[in-house]
Amino acid sequence: MKKTIQIPLGSQHISLLEPIRFKFECENEKIIGVDADVGFVHRGVELACTRSFEFKQVGYVVARVCGLCAITHSLSYTLAVEKLLGYVANDRIKYLRMLMVELDRIHSHMLCLAHTAENAGFEALFMQIMGDRELVMEVQEAISGNRVQFDYISIGGVNRDLTSELVDLVRKNLTTLSEKMEILTGLFDNNWSLSLKYKGVGVLTLEDAYTYNALGPLARASGLATDVRAETSDFPYEALGYTMMLESTGDIHARNFVRLREIVNSIAICRNIVDNLPMGEIQEKVKGKPKGEEIVRIEAPRGELFYLVRGNGTNTLERVRIKTPTFSGIPAMMEVFKGSQYADAPAILASFDPCMSCTAK
Amino acid sequence: MKIETTLPTLLLDIGAFYEAHQWHFLTVNGIDLGEGKIELQWIFSKYGVKDEVVLYYALSDYETPVPSLTGLIPSSIMGEREIVDMFGLKVEGAQRGLYLDDDSHPHPLRGES
Repeated sequence: MKKTIQIPLGSQHISLLEPIRFKFECENEKIIGVDADVGFVHRGVELACTRSFEFKQVGYVVARVCGLCAITHSLSYTLAVEKLLGYVANDRIKYLRMLMVELDRIHSHMLCLAHTAENAGFEALFMQIMGDRELVMEVQEAISGNRVQFDYISIGGVNRDLTSELVDLVRKNLTTLSEKMEILTGLFDNNWSLSLKYKGVGVLTLEDAYTYNALGPLARASGLATDVRAETSDFPYEALGYTMMLESTGDIHARNFVRLREIVNSIAICRNIVDNLPMGEIQEKVKGKPKGEEIVRIEAPRGELFYLVRGNGTNTLERVRIKTPTFSGIPAMMEVFKGSQYADAPAILASFDPCMSCTAK
Repeated sequence: MKIETTLPTLLLDIGAFYEAHQWHFLTVNGIDLGEGKIELQWIFSKYGVKDEVVLYYALSDYETPVPSLTGLIPSSIMGEREIVDMFGLKVEGAQRGLYLDDDSHPHPLRGES
């Protein structure tokens, strides 16, 4: 029997954006076993939603679960409550909500790509992508009035309208970003640090993706055709140019490319939204108190975000269950580590784009 | 679609239903019903089909051991560890400590907590 050693990674590590601890069991440099501790930033959000806040406030509480996909959290919760109250938003509200969700996807994917570049030692590209990402952050701030915690979506609508000046800003910044994405895609495809080094590394096979219920870009990079945007009918994604992006090799390179292509697709969706924005109110009266149980799924940047809300006809909810994409993806991630080199672990982890704030909630 | 099951027949029911290439396992959920009762849920969605969600549920209490689905669905371990932490339930093979430390509240999402 070969001698094995245990090497920890985290909870605080230079390659980690948020606290997570892995314990790798290694034979020389090869990882043969892994254990993960994910609960460092647990804040008891589900409990707070049912004990400390009324249902009209909870949308602003759940947005604080995550700083990257705050808009997806508040949308999922709001949609669940609206369904319980029998309210269906008009098309203008739906389009504005989709616009913010897709902008969120763009900047979140760009953060992941920047982090992947940084893990390859490509610091200059990290700075470049983070600079380009500001184009989207600027648009989101102009639309919502906030830079990170947007508080844009509320029960019965959205909190600010899209003026013609804002439409111009969206078009201008997304055009600039499209040009930059062509350069970025070329770099990720042809630069040695980002292509050859990452091809064949951190592979999740299609069969393992099914077995471990992978989701989001992690699943699509392995060829598993799943995307909540194609599996729910709450928003008219197909009519606005949505296309599912699939790769087949399941390695870091494939995950990068799924994200790159999804950014390009999300830019197209955002353009179609502002070009075809329907007329209508942005805020409508919704009366009543939620009673019953409703499930809502939304495709967050990292995959499927799941909310189950149960109300009893009072201002206080009985249950708010939040299942985030990284939480579901942990078993698949742990499987990918097995057989990989320890030196590749930070890059593999960055390619998962884990969000521990979401996971521990 | 909501389907009722029981803890003794859970593995048989889910085993007969679940096929990894067709169904995506979403999560395990618990809802405290008060007076020591709890509703447990196992939720699935169908790949490539719009709005098809299947929810199996079973009524139980705090003390009855809950069978683990990890033999059928390895990724269910995350949700199972979560209900151990949050509701103080006993789930086969799932240990406390996903989110909570030893000195944390033993079951924060129980109604009595």
